[in-house]
Amino acid sequence: MINIFLFACLFHDQVPGAPQTQAIVIKGGDLYTVSHGVLHATDLRLEGGKITAIGEVSLTDAIIVDAQGQRVYPGLIAPMTRLGLTEIDAVRATNDTAEVGDLTPEVLAGIAFNPDSELIPTVRSNGIAVAQVAPGGGLLQGQSSLLMLDGWNREDMALNMSVGMHLKWPNVRVREGWWVRDSAEEQRDKMSKQALALREAFAQAKAYHLAREASRIMPKNTRWESMRPLFKGEIPLYVEADEYKQIQQALEFTESFGLKMVLCGGNDAWRLADVLKERGIPVILAPQTRLPDRADDHYDLPYKTPHLLHESGVQFCISIPSSWAVRNLPLQAGIAMAFGLPDDAALRSITLSTAEILGVSDRLGSLDVGKDATIIISKGDITDTLGLNITAMYIQGRAVDLDNRHRQLHRKYATRLERAGK
Amino acid sequence: MCKLIPFLFCLSALAQVDMQLGLRENKNQAIAFTNAVIYVSWDQVIEHGTLVVRDQLVSQVGANLAPPKDAYAVDLQGKVILPGFIDVYSDYGMPEVPKRERSRTPVYETERQGGNSWNGSIHAERSARDLFKPMGKQADDLLANGFTAVHTNSMDGVFRGQGVVVDLAQGLPAESILGPGFHGLSFDKGTSKQLYPSSLMGSIALMRQTFADAQWYASVRKSANAGEYNAALEQLADYKGGYLFESADELSLLRCAAIAKEFGLNAIYVGSNNEYQRLEAIAKLKRPVILPLVFPETPKVATAAESMDVSLASLRHWELAPGNAASLAGAGVPFAFTTYKLKKSSDFWAGLHTSIKAGLAPEQALKALTAVPAQLLNQEGQLGSLSVGKRANFSVWVESPLDDEKATWLATWVNGKSIKAARDLSFVDWRGTHQISVRDRAFVLELSGSPTGLSGKLKLDDLEESIKQVTVDDRELTFTIPMDRFAFEGVYRFRLLAHTDGTRSGEMINSFGVTQTFDLKSGPMVEASDEETDEEKEPAPTESLAKLTYPNMGYGRAMPPVAETVLLRNAVVWTSAEQGRLDGADVLVSAGVIQAVGVGLDAPAGATVVDCTGKHITAGIIDEHSHIAISGGVNEFSHAVTAEVRIGDVVNSDDINIYRALAGGVTTVQLLHGSANPIGGQAQVIKLRWGSLPEDMKFKDAPASIKFALGENVKQSNAGDEFVVRYPQSRMGVETIIRDKFQAAKEYGEKWDAYYSLKPNRRQGMLPPRRDLQLEALREILDAKRFVHCHSYVQSEILMLMRLAESFGFKIQTFTHILEGYKVALEMAAHGAGGSSFSDWWAYKFEVYDAIPTNPCLMTRAGVVSSVNSDSPELMRRLNQEAGKSVLYCGMDEEEALKLVTINPAIQLKIDHKVGSIESGKDADLVVWNGHPLSIHSSAERTMVDGRTYFSLEDDGKLRLEVEEERAKLIQKALKSPGNGSGKSKKHKGSEIWDCEDTVDFWGVNHD
Repeated sequence: MINIFLFACLFHDQVPGAPQTQAIVIKGGDLYTVSHGVLHATDLRLEGGKITAIGEVSLTDAIIVDAQGQRVYPGLIAPMTRLGLTEIDAVRATNDTAEVGDLTPEVLAGIAFNPDSELIPTVRSNGIAVAQVAPGGGLLQGQSSLLMLDGWNREDMALNMSVGMHLKWPNVRVREGWWVRDSAEEQRDKMSKQALALREAFAQAKAYHLAREASRIMPKNTRWESMRPLFKGEIPLYVEADEYKQIQQALEFTESFGLKMVLCGGNDAWRLADVLKERGIPVILAPQTRLPDRADDHYDLPYKTPHLLHESGVQFCISIPSSWAVRNLPLQAGIAMAFGLPDDAALRSITLSTAEILGVSDRLGSLDVGKDATIIISKGDITDTLGLNITAMYIQGRAVDLDNRHRQLHRKYATRLERAGK
Repeated sequence: MCKLIPFLFCLSALAQVDMQLGLRENKNQAIAFTNAVIYVSWDQVIEHGTLVVRDQLVSQVGANLAPPKDAYAVDLQGKVILPGFIDVYSDYGMPEVPKRERSRTPVYETERQGGNSWNGSIHAERSARDLFKPMGKQADDLLANGFTAVHTNSMDGVFRGQGVVVDLAQGLPAESILGPGFHGLSFDKGTSKQLYPSSLMGSIALMRQTFADAQWYASVRKSANAGEYNAALEQLADYKGGYLFESADELSLLRCAAIAKEFGLNAIYVGSNNEYQRLEAIAKLKRPVILPLVFPETPKVATAAESMDVSLASLRHWELAPGNAASLAGAGVPFAFTTYKLKKSSDFWAGLHTSIKAGLAPEQALKALTAVPAQLLNQEGQLGSLSVGKRANFSVWVESPLDDEKATWLATWVNGKSIKAARDLSFVDWRGTHQISVRDRAFVLELSGSPTGLSGKLKLDDLEESIKQVTVDDRELTFTIPMDRFAFEGVYRFRLLAHTDGTRSGEMINSFGVTQTFDLKSGPMVEASDEETDEEKEPAPTESLAKLTYPNMGYGRAMPPVAETVLLRNAVVWTSAEQGRLDGADVLVSAGVIQAVGVGLDAPAGATVVDCTGKHITAGIIDEHSHIAISGGVNEFSHAVTAEVRIGDVVNSDDINIYRALAGGVTTVQLLHGSANPIGGQAQVIKLRWGSLPEDMKFKDAPASIKFALGENVKQSNAGDEFVVRYPQSRMGVETIIRDKFQAAKEYGEKWDAYYSLKPNRRQGMLPPRRDLQLEALREILDAKRFVHCHSYVQSEILMLMRLAESFGFKIQTFTHILEGYKVALEMAAHGAGGSSFSDWWAYKFEVYDAIPTNPCLMTRAGVVSSVNSDSPELMRRLNQEAGKSVLYCGMDEEEALKLVTINPAIQLKIDHKVGSIESGKDADLVVWNGHPLSIHSSAERTMVDGRTYFSLEDDGKLRLEVEEERAKLIQKALKSPGNGSGKSKKHKGSEIWDCEDTVDFWGVNHD
């Protein structure tokens, strides 16, 4: 068994794992396959970066990793993050999350991704192996990328540089309260302008797309060119919308343009579950660790939203659309469990469902032969504060260094206490 | 006659000193109004009354009096006379207040002129008497509603100066002045561009300091060694009159009342129609309230999306606010009405009738417009009724506006003179049924509508035709009728006339231009058409659908929970005390206190036994750092040192986050000032007694505390390019400003000690030191009577503050969300400071780039009393999980981890003798969990504070249904209401969500 910690202590920073050259057998662990339940004390063989066998596995030429009494899960997938795009929120120089203007479909998050962000190892050590990195900004924000969280640079980390186009649906509610600076009129005006600008942009982009399809000779428009995959149905439109009315409008909008839609945020999605289900629109839920939106809401409404969607049969996964806080992803699923979501559905909402929504379920999201050897091992239930304890992570069979800035600082100052006899 | 009138020497005596230009004016005629319905006062009505006005006063009033011979008599033919109304809260005739301008760059000082105050929101030196100038439009609007006098004052600033009582005669300003008014107060700093005060608590502090200064200034004036001249204090020092406090809501009114009590002020409150929500507390004040006649518009609920965004609180308030005046009347609170805040003056009667329909007796309404304000303003000798000797101030109406909100106003008289009139007083009301004989045929003319906006029909047998082109003059009515329907040719023109002798006649011109006269027999309306009866019909008083709870919103309670005698049986009890974790143990609670903890306890008689098998019980969770339940800004972010402001002044008991926190097992929180200033405001520890008044939520046994802050926030690193001038801008300066202030506090204390060391007789005649609320608070820190909780991140500043405190001989109680505590944990332990941490936050700004989730473990290991805090209304709902993260990240012992949110924060708040653990004798603040309290898979099932169950899943389930049902009913009512769809759903006050770093000038934005 490799002692990862010893390895890590030698370096200030974490060194990416080497490509898998030798088979690895994870031995005797409880396999949380996601796709077909829990297989107790079952072996798992990883070879050439893939899962090659489960159950009766050959030990030939394999490094044996003893996982007895531990749990083996597919590597977790974090959708809608800002990882690698920001280091310190309040320090402008470290932020590459948003481009100027309301309509920037042409920008691609993966371009700015910083693989050496100190945040990434802290997220990884809680079991998150893959992250979707999405841009922020005005309305039409740009395209997101899907990256593995270990590697030298984005070129060896990227699974898909353009996962989808991101649209933040305009605010629809007139805000009232002393803290609101714009009058109701100004707000309504801004809202209707935004809605109009969106329609116009999509109409123009579509006209451009049709002209190009018809092979008209014309200068290439960088902005509208970037939207063609959307109209071709190659990528979906990720629409960030929380409120009932926003979601209603977004549903109408994507239908009228004939676009594939993924709903992000979706605080009120459960109120429109029938339509979402009927149109097969999946939801990437905002965290449950938020306050209810309305004073009269049940205190636990955010906590039980995943459960409500699950009950109504809408496909969903759980997100933490943030940077450092992404490490709490497995615990988010745990909160949903405390408020009704069944264990297997909770686990699915941070693995296989996410992979399906992001279009990578052929490679990720479950422990199945043929999928990427992207797995994690935990001493306990990863969805619980009292269980989450990742002892190993493999991404495509590469052993990932689980050390991080926090552990280093901890060791440094623990040394100080030790010297003081504490 | 003049003797009867206090204050004014005699009417128009003032003008005697003016140079007389042109012909003299004679004001002394006598006029008698006869045959009127006279409301002599709010509780006396005379039918067929006569009112004689002489020398501008009422000289006679009574039923069927013959007019005096020398009087000009006007027969009012049953019209109605009301005594002149008085508006206590007006800015009539005051200079226009300029629009509030916001400055992007902070303004710290105001322009100094003469002896004005250092603060631009203090205008106590202003005198409305000297500023008053009658203004036509504003007076006309008031007069047309029947008002004849107002108390007027400038409405700008915290101290607004002294008002004045004036009539609406619009003559010489000086002639209109009836007497001195009240000093006006408000928490809104108005047009002052100065940043301070930037919060509600800042305004309150400024008000308190100014009243303290006024008391001191009074002694300055008495003493030989005169201090500096201060124009505002000069006015306040010896002022014993009334103070008119404008309040934004019922809690704000109670805040005003607390100041009035502290400084012994004679207070009158301008209310908000929220008073019914805390009626008992407001009635206890036994002080008058001035009520605006503005009510919530019908909420917009036409679509699903719209109705979702309307809270039960707003729905209720929409239904209940109109009954506010009736509630106050029922509770015996004297109140007067004001036209203040009316969007347009014509909304006045609609507003008044809204109150009447909601249960206010019309005579009470009249009282609130006449007798009450007259008495309040000390003008009952000349205003408030039409009894003999009082000013002849009254309005005349075709019918009583108290009965009909659309009543036709004719004229308003002030000082015996018609100041504003719509019509001549002889105006005829033509409404009714009139028999007209045309060419031997008996027509019936039915006239309805309003006296000035008549509509009508001419009828012959079962034929009818509407009248058109109607013109109503004083005694003449003209209209046209197409007569084809009656088999006559063309359009006829009609003219009806009322003669001074009471007879009536008519004429018509036919299609050939031939005029024909006819007789007219008029009578009351025999039978109105169905359509009209529907409109006219008073809506039957409907029972209100809304409940009244405390607080008055969803999940509020009609009654507070009772202190139970309960035995919680067979649970895993996490005592957070010496007993540790007890399996299969019982907890006995009665009289709000934990009576016993142990295995196999006996249930005393009358105790409820609750089987807790499979459950876990912990002490109530304590949050050392929270900003919930705070009104009007969490930061007084203007100045670097704001120890004078108090969170305790602005506790908001209506914050739904209190209830939500209870649902997360939280029972006690420290409400902290924000982190904008090195020395912030005073903190307030509260227990989450949901439904109680702010005052009753305060944790009485908690010692005083205060918020300090260090680092990026206080040096304004992330505040933008405009915020670069306030000292300090570096961590170096943070140290020096704190040091300087403590030195000042030390010297301040010495000054007072020296003063008090003198024998009382020697103190007399000696000027006492000026009371300084800021230094007073800092002195308490030096005297170990107030304890510092300091926002801090990096190790350098933590060391700095400990060393600084040590040099002044005190101790920092707790470093809050101290994310680099682990780096100086040994030093903290040696100093004796506690450390409160976020569980896992980091990287949101540069100073937290070294924050680590094992901070609580390392601090605990070094011997620092550690806790985990929320600083967030969301996070505080799951502090148990946050404590669990210390098990996750560094394997902390589970009992120790739970202590991070129970006994440890109690120690940090110095309330560990009352709460924080499960031990007999302590407050019964308990949580029953459905599983391991540190597990993310567990949730609270029941939360008790003082042995009262403020949250339980069972109650919550009921409340959810109740909220849903009540919402549905009120939404239906709103949908049926005629106003629906036009109204903007004004957000109900309620929750304001703050975090540490919120620095918004609360007064810099529009509150309307």
